[in-house]
Amino acid sequence: MSDALIFLFGKPMGIVVFQLLGATRFTIYLSLIAFVSGGVIGAAITLARISGVKAWMRFATAYIWWFQSVPLLMLLFLSGLGVPRLLGHDVDPWVSATVSLTLYASAYLAEVWRGAIHAVPRGQWEGGYSVGMRFLPVLRAIILPPAVRVALAPTVGFSVQIIKGTSLAYIIGFHDLMNLVRRWANAPVDGTEPFIIFPLMALIYFGLCFPLSRLAIYLEHRLGT
Amino acid sequence: MFDLRFFEIYRNGEYMWRLAEGVWLSISLTVTAAIIGFIAAALIAVARMNRVPVLSQIAVSYVEFIRNTPLIVQLFFVAFGLPLLLGYKWPFWGHALLGLTLNFSAYFAEILRSGLMAIPRGQIEAATALELKQRIRFTKVVFPQVIANVYPSLTSQFIFLFLTTGVISEIGVEDLTHAGVFIDSRTFRSFEVFITLTGLYVAIALTFKGCMHAIDRRCFAWKGRQ
Repeated sequence: MSDALIFLFGKPMGIVVFQLLGATRFTIYLSLIAFVSGGVIGAAITLARISGVKAWMRFATAYIWWFQSVPLLMLLFLSGLGVPRLLGHDVDPWVSATVSLTLYASAYLAEVWRGAIHAVPRGQWEGGYSVGMRFLPVLRAIILPPAVRVALAPTVGFSVQIIKGTSLAYIIGFHDLMNLVRRWANAPVDGTEPFIIFPLMALIYFGLCFPLSRLAIYLEHRLGT
Repeated sequence: MFDLRFFEIYRNGEYMWRLAEGVWLSISLTVTAAIIGFIAAALIAVARMNRVPVLSQIAVSYVEFIRNTPLIVQLFFVAFGLPLLLGYKWPFWGHALLGLTLNFSAYFAEILRSGLMAIPRGQIEAATALELKQRIRFTKVVFPQVIANVYPSLTSQFIFLFLTTGVISEIGVEDLTHAGVFIDSRTFRSFEVFITLTGLYVAIALTFKGCMHAIDRRCFAWKGRQ
Protein backbone atom coordinates (compact mmCIF):
# COMPACT_ATOMS: atom_id res chain seq x y z
CA MET A 1 0.00 0.00 0.00
CA SER A 2 2.75 2.38 1.07
CA ASP A 3 4.90 1.50 -1.97
CA ALA A 4 1.99 1.88 -4.37
CA LEU A 5 1.22 5.36 -3.04
CA ILE A 6 4.86 6.43 -3.23
CA PHE A 7 4.92 5.17 -6.81
CA LEU A 8 1.74 7.13 -7.60
CA PHE A 9 2.49 10.42 -5.88
CA GLY A 10 6.29 10.53 -5.60
CA LYS A 11 8.50 10.55 -2.52
CA PRO A 12 7.18 12.98 0.10
CA MET A 13 3.59 13.05 -1.15
CA GLY A 14 3.11 9.27 -1.23
CA ILE A 15 4.20 8.92 2.39
CA VAL A 16 1.97 11.80 3.43
CA VAL A 17 -1.06 10.31 1.70
CA PHE A 18 -0.28 6.91 3.24
CA GLN A 19 -0.12 8.41 6.74
CA LEU A 20 -3.28 10.43 6.15
CA LEU A 21 -5.23 7.36 5.13
CA GLY A 22 -3.80 5.51 8.13
CA ALA A 23 -4.95 8.24 10.51
CA THR A 24 -8.37 8.36 8.85
CA ARG A 25 -8.86 4.90 10.37
CA PHE A 26 -9.04 6.40 13.86
CA THR A 27 -11.48 9.06 12.73
CA ILE A 28 -13.73 6.33 11.36
CA TYR A 29 -13.41 4.16 14.48
CA LEU A 30 -14.19 7.04 16.79
CA SER A 31 -17.18 8.07 14.65
CA LEU A 32 -18.55 4.53 14.63
CA ILE A 33 -18.12 4.07 18.38
CA ALA A 34 -19.71 7.45 19.08
CA PHE A 35 -22.58 6.75 16.70
CA VAL A 36 -23.36 3.34 18.17
CA SER A 37 -23.04 4.29 21.83
CA GLY A 38 -24.79 7.61 21.18
CA GLY A 39 -27.56 5.63 19.49
CA VAL A 40 -27.95 3.25 22.44
CA ILE A 41 -28.10 6.05 25.01
CA GLY A 42 -30.20 8.16 22.66
CA ALA A 43 -32.69 5.29 22.40
CA ALA A 44 -32.85 5.02 26.18
CA ILE A 45 -33.44 8.77 26.47
CA THR A 46 -36.12 8.59 23.77
CA LEU A 47 -37.85 5.79 25.70
CA ALA A 48 -37.72 7.86 28.88
CA ARG A 49 -39.06 10.86 26.99
CA ILE A 50 -42.14 9.00 25.69
CA SER A 51 -42.59 6.72 28.72
CA GLY A 52 -45.40 8.75 30.25
CA VAL A 53 -43.68 8.65 33.65
CA LYS A 54 -43.37 12.29 34.71
CA ALA A 55 -39.96 12.13 36.40
CA TRP A 56 -38.35 10.27 33.50
CA MET A 57 -39.86 12.61 30.94
CA ARG A 58 -38.52 15.62 32.82
CA PHE A 59 -35.10 14.05 33.04
CA ALA A 60 -35.09 13.20 29.32
CA THR A 61 -36.25 16.68 28.33
CA ALA A 62 -33.56 18.28 30.50
CA TYR A 63 -30.90 15.90 29.16
CA ILE A 64 -31.77 16.63 25.54
CA TRP A 65 -31.95 20.37 26.14
CA TRP A 66 -28.68 20.52 28.06
CA PHE A 67 -26.52 18.48 25.71
CA GLN A 68 -27.91 20.26 22.68
CA SER A 69 -27.05 23.61 24.25
CA VAL A 70 -23.52 22.76 25.39
CA PRO A 71 -20.78 23.15 22.75
CA LEU A 72 -19.07 19.88 21.84
CA LEU A 73 -15.75 21.62 22.44
CA MET A 74 -16.71 22.25 26.07
CA LEU A 75 -17.73 18.61 26.53
CA LEU A 76 -14.31 17.61 25.23
CA PHE A 77 -12.49 20.03 27.51
CA LEU A 78 -14.54 18.91 30.49
CA SER A 79 -14.09 15.20 29.92
CA GLY A 80 -10.51 15.45 28.70
CA LEU A 81 -9.11 18.04 31.13
CA GLY A 82 -11.71 18.93 33.72
CA VAL A 83 -12.77 15.56 35.03
CA PRO A 84 -9.24 14.06 35.08
CA ARG A 85 -7.99 17.03 37.13
CA LEU A 86 -10.99 16.76 39.43
CA LEU A 87 -10.46 13.05 39.99
CA GLY A 88 -6.73 13.44 40.16
CA HIS A 89 -5.77 10.80 37.62
CA ASP A 90 -5.43 10.55 33.87
CA VAL A 91 -8.19 9.52 31.55
CA ASP A 92 -7.33 7.99 28.19
CA PRO A 93 -8.10 10.34 25.25
CA TRP A 94 -10.11 7.52 23.67
CA VAL A 95 -12.38 7.44 26.71
CA SER A 96 -12.78 11.22 26.90
CA ALA A 97 -13.45 11.57 23.19
CA THR A 98 -15.92 8.70 23.22
CA VAL A 99 -17.78 10.02 26.26
CA SER A 100 -18.06 13.55 24.84
CA LEU A 101 -19.19 12.46 21.39
CA THR A 102 -21.61 9.96 22.91
CA LEU A 103 -23.28 12.58 25.08
CA TYR A 104 -23.41 14.95 22.12
CA ALA A 105 -24.79 12.36 19.71
CA SER A 106 -27.27 10.86 22.15
CA ALA A 107 -29.01 14.20 22.77
CA TYR A 108 -29.41 14.98 19.05
CA LEU A 109 -30.47 11.45 18.13
CA ALA A 110 -32.97 11.34 21.00
CA GLU A 111 -34.47 14.60 19.76
CA VAL A 112 -34.74 13.29 16.19
CA TRP A 113 -36.29 10.01 17.30
CA ARG A 114 -38.69 11.67 19.72
CA GLY A 115 -39.90 13.86 16.86
CA ALA A 116 -40.34 10.82 14.62
CA ILE A 117 -42.35 8.95 17.26
CA HIS A 118 -44.50 12.00 17.96
CA ALA A 119 -45.18 12.26 14.22
CA VAL A 120 -47.20 9.03 14.49
CA PRO A 121 -50.82 9.98 15.21
CA ARG A 122 -51.97 9.47 18.84
CA GLY A 123 -54.84 7.31 17.63
CA GLN A 124 -52.33 4.59 16.74
CA TRP A 125 -51.29 4.31 20.39
CA GLU A 126 -54.89 4.31 21.57
CA GLY A 127 -55.80 1.68 18.99
CA GLY A 128 -53.02 -0.55 20.27
CA TYR A 129 -54.02 -0.11 23.91
CA SER A 130 -57.67 -0.70 23.12
CA VAL A 131 -56.95 -4.21 21.85
CA GLY A 132 -55.19 -4.94 25.13
CA MET A 133 -51.55 -4.46 24.13
CA ARG A 134 -49.01 -3.04 26.55
CA PHE A 135 -46.60 -0.13 26.08
CA LEU A 136 -43.63 -1.98 24.59
CA PRO A 137 -45.60 -4.23 22.19
CA VAL A 138 -47.54 -1.20 20.91
CA LEU A 139 -44.28 0.68 20.44
CA ARG A 140 -42.60 -2.20 18.65
CA ALA A 141 -45.41 -3.46 16.44
CA ILE A 142 -47.38 -0.30 15.66
CA ILE A 143 -45.44 2.88 16.35
CA LEU A 144 -41.87 2.05 15.36
CA PRO A 145 -42.38 0.91 11.74
CA PRO A 146 -43.70 4.29 10.52
CA ALA A 147 -41.46 6.21 12.95
CA VAL A 148 -38.32 4.52 11.62
CA ARG A 149 -39.22 5.62 8.09
CA VAL A 150 -39.41 9.21 9.29
CA ALA A 151 -36.27 9.03 11.43
CA LEU A 152 -33.92 7.25 9.03
CA ALA A 153 -32.94 10.21 6.83
CA PRO A 154 -32.16 12.68 9.67
CA THR A 155 -30.30 9.95 11.56
CA VAL A 156 -28.01 9.31 8.60
CA GLY A 157 -27.70 13.07 8.18
CA PHE A 158 -26.60 13.45 11.78
CA SER A 159 -23.81 10.90 11.33
CA VAL A 160 -22.15 13.60 9.19
CA GLN A 161 -22.18 15.90 12.23
CA ILE A 162 -20.50 13.18 14.28
CA ILE A 163 -17.72 12.66 11.74
CA LYS A 164 -17.15 16.41 11.61
CA GLY A 165 -17.28 16.51 15.41
CA THR A 166 -14.47 13.96 15.74
CA SER A 167 -12.12 16.52 14.18
CA LEU A 168 -12.15 18.36 17.53
CA ALA A 169 -10.89 15.37 19.50
CA TYR A 170 -7.27 16.23 18.74
CA ILE A 171 -7.61 19.07 21.27
CA ILE A 172 -7.50 16.55 24.12
CA GLY A 173 -4.64 14.65 22.55
CA PHE A 174 -6.59 12.13 20.50
CA HIS A 175 -4.44 10.87 17.66
CA ASP A 176 -6.49 11.24 14.50
CA LEU A 177 -6.34 12.82 11.06
CA MET A 178 -6.40 16.34 12.47
CA ASN A 179 -3.54 15.71 14.88
CA LEU A 180 -1.33 14.23 12.16
CA VAL A 181 -2.02 16.97 9.64
CA ARG A 182 -1.24 19.69 12.14
CA ARG A 183 2.16 18.14 12.71
CA TRP A 184 2.85 18.03 8.97
CA ALA A 185 1.70 21.61 8.56
CA ASN A 186 3.82 22.87 11.44
CA ALA A 187 7.01 21.34 10.02
CA PRO A 188 6.33 21.36 6.28
CA VAL A 189 8.45 19.59 3.70
CA ASP A 190 7.75 20.05 0.00
CA GLY A 191 4.13 19.17 -0.58
CA THR A 192 2.92 19.39 3.00
CA GLU A 193 2.62 23.17 3.19
CA PRO A 194 -0.55 24.27 4.99
CA PHE A 195 -2.24 25.27 1.72
CA ILE A 196 -1.80 21.77 0.31
CA ILE A 197 -2.25 19.51 3.29
CA PHE A 198 -5.33 21.18 4.78
CA PRO A 199 -7.33 20.94 1.54
CA LEU A 200 -6.10 17.35 1.25
CA MET A 201 -7.46 16.62 4.70
CA ALA A 202 -10.67 18.46 3.84
CA LEU A 203 -10.99 16.13 0.83
CA ILE A 204 -10.73 13.08 3.07
CA TYR A 205 -13.43 14.40 5.40
CA PHE A 206 -15.49 15.29 2.34
CA GLY A 207 -15.05 11.76 1.04
CA LEU A 208 -16.41 10.41 4.31
CA CYS A 209 -19.26 12.88 4.75
CA PHE A 210 -20.55 13.57 1.26
CA PRO A 211 -21.78 10.01 0.51
CA LEU A 212 -23.65 10.03 3.82
CA SER A 213 -25.23 13.41 3.05
CA ARG A 214 -26.32 12.11 -0.34
CA LEU A 215 -27.69 8.96 1.26
CA ALA A 216 -29.69 11.08 3.70
CA ILE A 217 -31.21 13.10 0.85
CA TYR A 218 -31.93 9.92 -1.11
CA LEU A 219 -33.66 8.34 1.89
CA GLU A 220 -35.68 11.48 2.45
CA HIS A 221 -37.02 11.37 -1.12
CA ARG A 222 -37.43 7.63 -1.10
CA LEU A 223 -39.26 7.28 2.20
CA GLY A 224 -41.09 10.55 1.72
CA THR A 225 -41.76 12.62 4.83
CA MET B 1 -15.75 15.21 48.44
CA PHE B 2 -14.28 17.11 45.54
CA ASP B 3 -12.33 20.24 46.09
CA LEU B 4 -14.09 22.80 43.91
CA ARG B 5 -12.62 26.28 43.87
CA PHE B 6 -14.69 28.48 41.62
CA PHE B 7 -13.59 31.49 43.65
CA GLU B 8 -10.09 31.18 42.18
CA ILE B 9 -11.66 32.34 38.94
CA TYR B 10 -14.19 34.92 39.97
CA ARG B 11 -12.08 36.61 42.64
CA ASN B 12 -9.35 37.36 40.13
CA GLY B 13 -9.89 40.60 38.24
CA GLU B 14 -7.66 39.70 35.33
CA TYR B 15 -9.45 36.43 34.69
CA MET B 16 -12.87 38.05 34.85
CA TRP B 17 -11.70 40.74 32.46
CA ARG B 18 -10.40 38.13 30.02
CA LEU B 19 -13.69 36.23 30.20
CA ALA B 20 -15.63 39.43 29.54
CA GLU B 21 -13.43 40.27 26.54
CA GLY B 22 -13.81 36.71 25.33
CA VAL B 23 -17.58 36.89 25.53
CA TRP B 24 -17.54 40.16 23.61
CA LEU B 25 -15.24 38.86 20.88
CA SER B 26 -17.14 35.59 20.50
CA ILE B 27 -20.46 37.39 20.17
CA SER B 28 -19.28 40.17 17.88
CA LEU B 29 -17.38 37.86 15.52
CA THR B 30 -20.27 35.40 15.32
CA VAL B 31 -22.87 38.08 14.68
CA THR B 32 -20.74 39.88 12.08
CA ALA B 33 -19.96 36.61 10.31
CA ALA B 34 -23.64 35.69 10.37
CA ILE B 35 -24.72 39.00 8.81
CA ILE B 36 -22.10 38.96 6.03
CA GLY B 37 -22.68 35.24 5.60
CA PHE B 38 -26.40 35.79 5.23
CA ILE B 39 -25.90 38.35 2.45
CA ALA B 40 -23.49 36.01 0.66
CA ALA B 41 -25.96 33.15 1.17
CA ALA B 42 -28.77 35.15 -0.43
CA LEU B 43 -26.58 35.77 -3.50
CA ILE B 44 -25.61 32.09 -3.67
CA ALA B 45 -29.22 30.95 -3.35
CA VAL B 46 -30.39 33.36 -6.05
CA ALA B 47 -27.60 32.22 -8.39
CA ARG B 48 -28.66 28.64 -7.85
CA MET B 49 -32.37 29.31 -8.31
CA ASN B 50 -31.91 31.30 -11.53
CA ARG B 51 -29.57 28.60 -12.85
CA VAL B 52 -26.89 31.10 -13.80
CA PRO B 53 -24.49 28.92 -15.84
CA VAL B 54 -21.09 28.12 -14.26
CA LEU B 55 -21.88 30.29 -11.24
CA SER B 56 -24.62 27.99 -10.03
CA GLN B 57 -22.40 24.90 -10.40
CA ILE B 58 -19.69 26.65 -8.40
CA ALA B 59 -22.30 27.58 -5.81
CA VAL B 60 -23.49 23.98 -5.47
CA SER B 61 -19.95 22.63 -5.04
CA TYR B 62 -19.09 25.37 -2.59
CA VAL B 63 -22.14 24.73 -0.41
CA GLU B 64 -21.64 20.96 -0.46
CA PHE B 65 -17.93 21.20 0.23
CA ILE B 66 -18.33 23.52 3.21
CA ARG B 67 -21.21 21.54 4.67
CA ASN B 68 -19.33 18.26 4.45
CA THR B 69 -16.02 19.31 6.00
CA PRO B 70 -15.33 20.28 9.63
CA LEU B 71 -15.24 23.97 10.49
CA ILE B 72 -11.83 23.61 12.09
CA VAL B 73 -10.27 22.33 8.85
CA GLN B 74 -11.71 25.30 6.99
CA LEU B 75 -10.36 27.65 9.65
CA PHE B 76 -6.88 26.15 9.52
CA PHE B 77 -6.83 26.49 5.76
CA VAL B 78 -8.03 30.10 5.90
CA ALA B 79 -5.65 31.03 8.74
CA PHE B 80 -2.48 29.17 7.78
CA GLY B 81 -2.88 28.01 4.18
CA LEU B 82 -4.30 31.01 2.32
CA PRO B 83 -1.99 33.70 3.77
CA LEU B 84 1.06 31.61 2.87
CA LEU B 85 -0.28 30.93 -0.61
CA LEU B 86 -1.31 34.48 -1.44
CA GLY B 87 1.18 36.26 0.78
CA TYR B 88 -1.00 38.48 2.93
CA LYS B 89 -0.93 39.11 6.66
CA TRP B 90 -4.09 39.68 8.65
CA PRO B 91 -4.79 39.84 12.36
CA PHE B 92 -6.13 36.60 13.83
CA TRP B 93 -9.68 37.84 14.09
CA GLY B 94 -9.63 38.63 10.35
CA HIS B 95 -8.94 34.99 9.53
CA ALA B 96 -11.62 33.90 11.97
CA LEU B 97 -14.14 36.30 10.47
CA LEU B 98 -13.40 35.09 6.94
CA GLY B 99 -13.54 31.44 7.98
CA LEU B 100 -16.77 31.78 9.93
CA THR B 101 -18.38 33.82 7.15
CA LEU B 102 -17.54 31.15 4.57
CA ASN B 103 -18.92 28.49 6.89
CA PHE B 104 -22.13 30.33 7.81
CA SER B 105 -22.89 31.35 4.22
CA ALA B 106 -22.99 27.74 3.02
CA TYR B 107 -25.41 26.63 5.74
CA PHE B 108 -27.62 29.69 5.29
CA ALA B 109 -27.59 29.28 1.49
CA GLU B 110 -28.94 25.77 1.82
CA ILE B 111 -31.77 26.96 4.08
CA LEU B 112 -32.60 29.88 1.78
CA ARG B 113 -32.64 27.60 -1.25
CA SER B 114 -35.18 25.28 0.34
CA GLY B 115 -37.20 28.37 1.28
CA LEU B 116 -37.11 29.64 -2.29
CA MET B 117 -38.22 26.27 -3.62
CA ALA B 118 -41.18 26.28 -1.24
CA ILE B 119 -42.66 29.49 -2.69
CA PRO B 120 -45.66 28.47 -4.82
CA ARG B 121 -45.14 29.24 -8.52
CA GLY B 122 -48.54 30.93 -8.56
CA GLN B 123 -47.13 33.76 -6.46
CA ILE B 124 -44.50 34.57 -9.05
CA GLU B 125 -46.98 34.14 -11.90
CA ALA B 126 -49.45 36.46 -10.17
CA ALA B 127 -46.73 39.07 -9.72
CA THR B 128 -45.78 38.70 -13.39
CA ALA B 129 -49.42 39.07 -14.37
CA LEU B 130 -49.53 42.34 -12.44
CA GLU B 131 -46.58 43.44 -14.61
CA LEU B 132 -44.27 43.89 -11.65
CA LYS B 133 -40.66 44.23 -12.66
CA GLN B 134 -38.39 41.31 -11.86
CA ARG B 135 -36.59 43.24 -9.14
CA ILE B 136 -39.84 44.26 -7.43
CA ARG B 137 -41.18 40.74 -7.90
CA PHE B 138 -38.23 39.43 -5.98
CA THR B 139 -37.83 42.05 -3.26
CA LYS B 140 -41.53 42.62 -2.52
CA VAL B 141 -43.17 39.27 -3.23
CA VAL B 142 -40.74 36.39 -3.01
CA PHE B 143 -38.07 37.45 -0.54
CA PRO B 144 -40.23 38.55 2.41
CA GLN B 145 -42.09 35.25 2.31
CA VAL B 146 -38.88 33.24 2.08
CA ILE B 147 -37.37 35.03 5.07
CA ALA B 148 -40.53 34.62 7.14
CA ASN B 149 -40.73 30.92 6.26
CA VAL B 150 -37.12 30.01 6.94
CA TYR B 151 -36.60 32.31 9.93
CA PRO B 152 -36.99 29.51 12.51
CA SER B 153 -34.48 27.27 10.70
CA LEU B 154 -32.09 30.19 10.30
CA THR B 155 -32.34 30.89 14.02
CA SER B 156 -31.63 27.35 15.13
CA GLN B 157 -28.83 26.98 12.58
CA PHE B 158 -27.30 30.22 13.83
CA ILE B 159 -27.38 29.02 17.45
CA PHE B 160 -25.94 25.65 16.41
CA LEU B 161 -23.15 27.40 14.50
CA PHE B 162 -22.49 29.76 17.40
CA LEU B 163 -21.85 26.72 19.62
CA THR B 164 -19.14 25.55 17.21
CA THR B 165 -17.28 28.88 17.08
CA GLY B 166 -15.11 27.99 20.09
CA VAL B 167 -12.64 26.48 17.63
CA ILE B 168 -11.53 29.94 16.49
CA SER B 169 -9.43 29.95 19.67
CA GLU B 170 -7.31 27.31 17.91
CA ILE B 171 -6.19 29.85 15.31
CA GLY B 172 -5.21 32.33 17.99
CA VAL B 173 -8.33 34.44 18.38
CA GLU B 174 -8.84 35.49 21.99
CA ASP B 175 -12.44 34.41 22.18
CA LEU B 176 -14.29 32.93 25.13
CA THR B 177 -12.70 29.48 24.76
CA HIS B 178 -9.27 31.09 24.50
CA ALA B 179 -9.88 32.95 27.76
CA GLY B 180 -10.85 29.66 29.40
CA VAL B 181 -7.75 27.87 28.15
CA PHE B 182 -5.62 30.75 29.43
CA ILE B 183 -7.18 30.69 32.90
CA ASP B 184 -6.86 26.91 32.94
CA SER B 185 -3.16 27.15 32.14
CA ARG B 186 -2.67 29.54 35.08
CA THR B 187 -4.86 27.94 37.75
CA PHE B 188 -4.99 24.26 36.73
CA ARG B 189 -8.62 24.38 37.83
CA SER B 190 -9.79 22.81 34.56
CA PHE B 191 -13.11 21.49 35.79
CA GLU B 192 -14.25 24.77 37.33
CA VAL B 193 -12.97 26.80 34.38
CA PHE B 194 -14.74 24.75 31.73
CA ILE B 195 -17.95 24.47 33.76
CA THR B 196 -17.93 28.27 33.94
CA LEU B 197 -17.28 28.47 30.21
CA THR B 198 -20.05 26.00 29.46
CA GLY B 199 -22.45 28.08 31.53
CA LEU B 200 -21.42 31.23 29.66
CA TYR B 201 -21.89 29.57 26.25
CA VAL B 202 -25.33 28.29 27.22
CA ALA B 203 -26.28 31.70 28.60
CA ILE B 204 -25.19 33.45 25.38
CA ALA B 205 -27.04 30.89 23.27
CA LEU B 206 -30.19 31.46 25.33
CA THR B 207 -29.80 35.24 24.98
CA PHE B 208 -29.47 34.86 21.21
CA LYS B 209 -32.56 32.68 21.20
CA GLY B 210 -34.50 35.30 23.15
CA CYS B 211 -33.41 38.09 20.78
CA MET B 212 -34.30 36.04 17.72
CA HIS B 213 -37.70 35.26 19.18
CA ALA B 214 -38.35 38.94 19.87
CA ILE B 215 -37.37 39.81 16.28
CA ASP B 216 -39.63 37.03 15.03
CA ARG B 217 -42.64 38.38 16.90
CA ARG B 218 -41.95 41.95 15.83
CA CYS B 219 -41.13 41.44 12.17
CA PHE B 220 -43.09 38.39 11.15
CA ALA B 221 -46.31 38.88 13.08
CA TRP B 222 -48.16 39.05 9.72
CA LYS B 223 -47.20 35.44 9.16
CA GLY B 224 -49.40 34.39 12.07
CA ARG B 225 -46.91 31.87 13.38
CA GLN B 226 -47.16 30.92 17.04
